[in-house]
Amino acid sequence: MADREVDQQLVERVQRGDKHAFDLLVSKYQRKLGRLISRFVRDSAEAEDVTQDAFIKAYRALPGFRGESAFYTWLYRIGINTAKNHLLANKRRVPTSTLFDADEAESFEDGGLLHEVNTPENELMSKQVVDVVQTSLQQLPEDLRSALTLREIEGLSYEEIASVMNCPIGTVRSRIFRAREAVAENLRPLLETSKGNRW
Amino acid sequence: MKKEISALMDGELFEDEAENLFDQIKRDPATHKDWEIYHLIGDVLRQPEHIHCDLSEKVRERMQGEPTVLAPRGRAVKQRARAVALSAAASLAAVGVVAWMSLQVSPEAASQMAMQQPALRPVSAQIQPKSNDYLMAHQEFSPSIDMNGGASYIRTVSYSTDEK
Repeated sequence: MADREVDQQLVERVQRGDKHAFDLLVSKYQRKLGRLISRFVRDSAEAEDVTQDAFIKAYRALPGFRGESAFYTWLYRIGINTAKNHLLANKRRVPTSTLFDADEAESFEDGGLLHEVNTPENELMSKQVVDVVQTSLQQLPEDLRSALTLREIEGLSYEEIASVMNCPIGTVRSRIFRAREAVAENLRPLLETSKGNRW
Repeated sequence: MKKEISALMDGELFEDEAENLFDQIKRDPATHKDWEIYHLIGDVLRQPEHIHCDLSEKVRERMQGEPTVLAPRGRAVKQRARAVALSAAASLAAVGVVAWMSLQVSPEAASQMAMQQPALRPVSAQIQPKSNDYLMAHQEFSPSIDMNGGASYIRTVSYSTDEK
């Protein structure tokens, strides 16, 4: 079952009245949507509010989502419209350099142009989270690190990773899980100590 | 459970397995947390410069005031029914093709089969007079009156001069 089908399955659960399924979609896409919105709305607190608004609008519009496009493509359009409306409502100019089309939504990862105005606390916490993840990754055995990198950064399927690493698919599955769990083990104490904002 | 979450994130579970896992995540907050952390790790690896605090709690709070959305079930049910109908039709078609192929005997195959059968060797048997007496004496035991299956008995009374 491809990633798009996982999203569709969650969407159908929401459409059947399962609000919790929408939580899972929020957890999955909040940072990606937040990055997109912060291309329009530079202030991080404002961008967070607009991101929340976009999710609420998406939730309300979900009964009309027919699965003709991927869920994120649809969410992406809602995010852009919400950000533009926010700027217009505040009588600010909508940046012309951020006119995206739907095709870009699937591959949108770019955040390099951003200059977020983040709070010092969030800034510090972000840095710590990134440090822990990257340090944990470096400490992993080579086979686990490669498997996780090929999956998360290169976006390869298990079959492709098995071919690259010359091992069975079951081994790939196990390596990726062990790598994630090893990083998560180091991350949990940090996330539990953060006060105020959840991570 | 964590291993299944990891596989689900990568789209490597079957639909029914995913449904069960979603149910378990819904019931168990710790499992939900694992889902969040694994996604956070992925986001950090892809975009380390743009990590912000978790918005899901705030979205969840705002959604408490939202009515539960319900979409007409017709579409999803129709899609599933259509998939089932298509797969059933495909299965029937496959069975039909196999049956038709098995019943179908091409002329080439028939001639090959005919060639593989050993040629029948005619035997001319000259019945000797003493055999006639024997046959006449045992006529009442002969199944030749009722020809049903009689062919299989013909050899039992045949006589060949080659075999002595």
